[in-house]
Amino acid sequence: MLKKIAVLLLLIFLTSSLAGCWNRKEITDMAIVLGTGVDWTAEGRLRLTVQIAEPGAFAGEEAAGRGEEATNWVVSAEGKTIEEAARNLAPKVPRNIFWDHCMILVIGEEMARKGTNLVTNFFLRSREPREIMWVLVAKGEAKDFLETYSDLEKTSAQAANLLTRMRTGYSVQLWELAEMLAGKGVQPVVTRVEVKEAGVTPGPGQEMKPPVHKQVEISGVGVFKEEKLIGWLDDYETRALLWLKGEPMEGVITVPDPGEPDKEVSITIRRGSTKVVPEYDGKNLRFAVKVKMEGDMVEQQSRENLAKPEMIKVLEKEMAEEIKKRAFITLEKAQKEYGVDIFGFGDAFHRKYKKAWRELKNRWDTEFAEAEVIIEAEAYVREIGLLSKRAGTPEE
Amino acid sequence: MEKFRKPTRTGVPGGIFARDYNDSLKNLVLSQDLEANLQQIKAILDKCSDVIYREFVFAQNEEIRLALIYIEGLADPGQISDQIIRALSLEVPMAVPGQEITKARALEFIKQRGLCIHQLKETYKLQDIIHAILSGDTVLLVDGHAVALVNGARGWEARPLSDSETEPTVRGPRESFAETLRVNTALIRRKIKSPNLKIEALRLGEVSDTDVALVYIEGIVNEKLVTEVKSRLEKINIDAILESGYIEELIEDNPWSLFPTVNHTGKPDRLAAMLLEGRVAILVDGTPVALTVPNLFVEYLQAPEDYYQRFLFASAVRLIRFASMIISLMLPSLYIAVLSFHHELLPTPLLLGMAARREVVPFPVFFEVLITEIAFEVLREAGNHLPRPIGQGISIGAALVLGVVAVQAGFIAASTVIVVVFAGIASLVFANSAGMAFRLLRFALMVLSGTLGLVGMISGAAFIAIHMCTLRSFGVPYLSPLAPIASTDLADVVSRAPWWAMLSRPRLMTGQNQQRQGRGLKPTSPEKTSKGRR
Amino acid sequence: MLEKGKINSLQAILLMISMILPTAVLSVPAITVKSARQDAWLSIIVATVVGLLIAWLVVTLSLRFPGKTLFEYVEEILGKIPGKIVSFFYIWWFLHMNALVIREYGVFLATAIMPDTPISVFHIVVVVVAAYAVRNGLEVLSRANQLLIPTTVLLATVFILSTGNMKLSRMLPVIDTGLLPIIKGAAAPASWLGEIVTFAMIIPYLNRPREAHRVAALSVLLVSFFLTASILEALLIFGPNLTGAWIFPVFNAVRLISVDNSLGRLEIIIVLAWVLGGFFKVGVFYYAAVLGSAQWLELKDYRPLVLPVGIILVALSILIHEGIVDLFDFLARVWPPYALIVFEAGIPLVLLLVALVRGKGGRKNA
Repeated sequence: MLKKIAVLLLLIFLTSSLAGCWNRKEITDMAIVLGTGVDWTAEGRLRLTVQIAEPGAFAGEEAAGRGEEATNWVVSAEGKTIEEAARNLAPKVPRNIFWDHCMILVIGEEMARKGTNLVTNFFLRSREPREIMWVLVAKGEAKDFLETYSDLEKTSAQAANLLTRMRTGYSVQLWELAEMLAGKGVQPVVTRVEVKEAGVTPGPGQEMKPPVHKQVEISGVGVFKEEKLIGWLDDYETRALLWLKGEPMEGVITVPDPGEPDKEVSITIRRGSTKVVPEYDGKNLRFAVKVKMEGDMVEQQSRENLAKPEMIKVLEKEMAEEIKKRAFITLEKAQKEYGVDIFGFGDAFHRKYKKAWRELKNRWDTEFAEAEVIIEAEAYVREIGLLSKRAGTPEE
Repeated sequence: MEKFRKPTRTGVPGGIFARDYNDSLKNLVLSQDLEANLQQIKAILDKCSDVIYREFVFAQNEEIRLALIYIEGLADPGQISDQIIRALSLEVPMAVPGQEITKARALEFIKQRGLCIHQLKETYKLQDIIHAILSGDTVLLVDGHAVALVNGARGWEARPLSDSETEPTVRGPRESFAETLRVNTALIRRKIKSPNLKIEALRLGEVSDTDVALVYIEGIVNEKLVTEVKSRLEKINIDAILESGYIEELIEDNPWSLFPTVNHTGKPDRLAAMLLEGRVAILVDGTPVALTVPNLFVEYLQAPEDYYQRFLFASAVRLIRFASMIISLMLPSLYIAVLSFHHELLPTPLLLGMAARREVVPFPVFFEVLITEIAFEVLREAGNHLPRPIGQGISIGAALVLGVVAVQAGFIAASTVIVVVFAGIASLVFANSAGMAFRLLRFALMVLSGTLGLVGMISGAAFIAIHMCTLRSFGVPYLSPLAPIASTDLADVVSRAPWWAMLSRPRLMTGQNQQRQGRGLKPTSPEKTSKGRR
Repeated sequence: MLEKGKINSLQAILLMISMILPTAVLSVPAITVKSARQDAWLSIIVATVVGLLIAWLVVTLSLRFPGKTLFEYVEEILGKIPGKIVSFFYIWWFLHMNALVIREYGVFLATAIMPDTPISVFHIVVVVVAAYAVRNGLEVLSRANQLLIPTTVLLATVFILSTGNMKLSRMLPVIDTGLLPIIKGAAAPASWLGEIVTFAMIIPYLNRPREAHRVAALSVLLVSFFLTASILEALLIFGPNLTGAWIFPVFNAVRLISVDNSLGRLEIIIVLAWVLGGFFKVGVFYYAAVLGSAQWLELKDYRPLVLPVGIILVALSILIHEGIVDLFDFLARVWPPYALIVFEAGIPLVLLLVALVRGKGGRKNA
């Protein structure tokens, strides 16, 4: 027994020392990728850009004294496939590239027009990159986007991560994109990002205004037909896209004041729901879309006392009209200009008419472009904040 | 004095040193001649300078010669001079003035009226006499009688009862066992005043001839268990039993396992509770702890204090103890696995922060943790053996200085120190013997997780779990009532059930009489409190 | 008797769950969803009925021969030589199935967690741990299983955490493509549930054999419940198209979880639960193969066979398939008919019929 145990221990020890390096990676040997981007170069090759964290900048208090140290390092390489490009990165990066913490995948505009499937397959198939990274389409090149930095966050990848996570616009994760691409009932839309001049960073005792540098910004979505980018929707239209898709509803609706029409009233949307009812008689395709929304009045420019039931009723009516108007603009654009079903009406149709779907699914986008859509909106104003009427209104 | 049962010897070839000597004594008996008897005893106890032979004569009849034999230091000199020598050589005439006592009547008279000693026994066997002397009894030989009177005038310098240092409690009795067997049995008897509390005596160890007591409660204990314990004890054939640990290793079910299958406690209240659950205790003279069998693993998660504190709090503490068990076993290996295999598990900011701090550390995580662990164990062992005040100072100083300087020098990362020390402290939550098993297994798991990451660690953990399932302690599965599940007993394992809900004793242990208390003891409204628990 | 231990009904149920579930959760969803799409849960219901029938068949057969395992009563029913031949095939089947399980285990760990480690390492680790349990007998195997099965609770937590990504509408429309794909999709889960045949090796060691019917049925139902839950988890998140595209959909579903945006990437938890389950899944089939071989060779003790059978298992699991594509193709197309028709339903049914005709066994002692 003693011998057996001794032999076993020896075996364990030997194997462990022999095989110590199978998958073991020390943190100090890793290049932690925070964000990545892919561009289509003029020569027709893929260019992979990675933003790698400089660990020194993240050390907390110890690093406080280090001051202006770069927080990241952006490096690119080209190749016929993503993997090939990644291999070509290896000679430039002295550590193992580690994808697990990559937060964003930026696809350059040219690349997106060429086809996202050239990009997404690698990131879905490999073990390290996560399916939950945010996918963004850059207006311009993805490389430029990654090369900017943010003033509040340390890197542009972190900034973009936070921006998309807050769902300031329409945000989509890699797996959601894959799901939209896999079915025929909906065409993908992807968050658009731009690099624009934002605020400045004034420092104490600075005589001159520091130079303004460019920062990341979310601006609407890119519209895709299958995997290819065909156009854009701006922020205003994106909001309506969210309403029609029935995504978590947020945003502000500004309507004229019921009392003084030249002044405005703003209502933030708290919650809402969307119901799409397809109707099909074998020839004519019709959708009845019902949007229901609840919001709080947050700002009022006029002196009118709106805290009265009849005024609220008027507000609600105006709000519903505004919702309808904006939804129609977006719908028109999708149907007439781009001719793609980005709202998922196809899925709703499939759920109701499963036999007809089998016929229509292969020419769904043309069917959708010609379909009649009726939009109904219901709106409710629930809260009015802490004021009943505008403060400083003289007594009558 | 109770009858000692000499254990039967089963064939050990080659003979232990004391065996021949004991066998040679076996058939010797006393003669009627005092001189001859004394000679014989002196021959046996030759060169034992601590043996005192005191010869004197009976007060009323100087022909009656008497001899006292005892060991200096073990027998109480005050009692001997006052109650024996003074009584027999001076005071007898006062008791029976004018009466002549013949040599023939002497023994009977001394037994009945002469001695003022509380405990008296007669024997004619030389073997018993020698044993009595060596145990601290005083032997009185009377000329003309082939019988010795064994006086229980024991009294030696012993450590007084003190607070338990190994199992301290905040609430509950503080007393703990001492080194003297009789004191310990008395402590138990004080807790359980029932004729069913049986204290059987045995003598083990051929040379040391140690008194051992087998304690159990008849009617609660499983009879088969008592028989089994007895038969295992009787098989012991060793020269000396100096501590209960000797017995523990000689009777346990799984000698190769790291896990102890015999529990021990130094507190009479805890022992009483264990006896009441149907366990058998083994007390050894000279050892301030009692062994208890059968031992279940969950005992290490239970503390006596749990049962004195309010049950909800005690249940919460149980959870903490359970968590500490897992932490002490797995935390270092989890740390190794995460830092060298599964970096994705760390939140991004934490990973970046750790990466920054580790930039300067020269070793792979595995070696770093290993070095720190070994350093921690060294400090701990050193602290155990130094005199208490110095030990504490040194270990604190060394730990602080070593830790801080090592981190500042970039020798090890601060997070490693945190992990190792936390795991080390967590293992202290345990009763010591199970904690030791986990301390060793922690290293095994570290090697596994350094090889295969979490897969290795979890394989090791499964192996440990399977191993624990194979263990039995005196026929009771070690992991019961967790595996196999005994649902009624679980209430006192994962939580501490309130007393009014603990209706039965552990099922697997007790043979009979499983009912612990009456039903309906839960206190209710004020007018019914008279029915509530006392 | 070769095995002296006895286990109770609860332990038997938990053992059967561990025997079927671990690989079922990872391999079945993709196979079933590929053919039945969003109606995969209906496939599981169909498979459950098949599983229950097999369970009834096996238990009924075994209870005619109380105290005897499959290998012992086969000879009684068919006679010595034919009996030996049939039991030899069963030994092969247990070994083959186990080799597949071990391979799935290795392939999963290699693709999902540690691609640089040779899969034979994982095979050896799992076989060593299972061998240790098997060597210590059925009691230890089932007790350790009982101790570690609460890790399944972890799977449930994971399910709850991922509800945020789920959309019920992804299950609609019901019966989209007709009944045939549903039946087709049921083949794989049915062959997994049919593994309950192995229960025939354990029935003699139940402390209350009378409850065997209930034990088998409950095991099948509980496994189908967990299987349905895991299929729905993947389906409600990814929809039928993407679920069919993943190799381990449940694993990918777990990869999406992110608690409070900081604690994410929890898939290692499901891997750990699966690794633990894998030990017992491999352990049960290992035990069946070892006990069966001992009875086939008419040995007095099965323990000398543990080591050789373990070596065979490791070798077989490495040699049996070339790669993951080969393995999953086999599991999806060849395995269901091979296991279901021959070993899980076919032979037991023939045995029962022959026993009835020849009047072998009976309820005298039951």
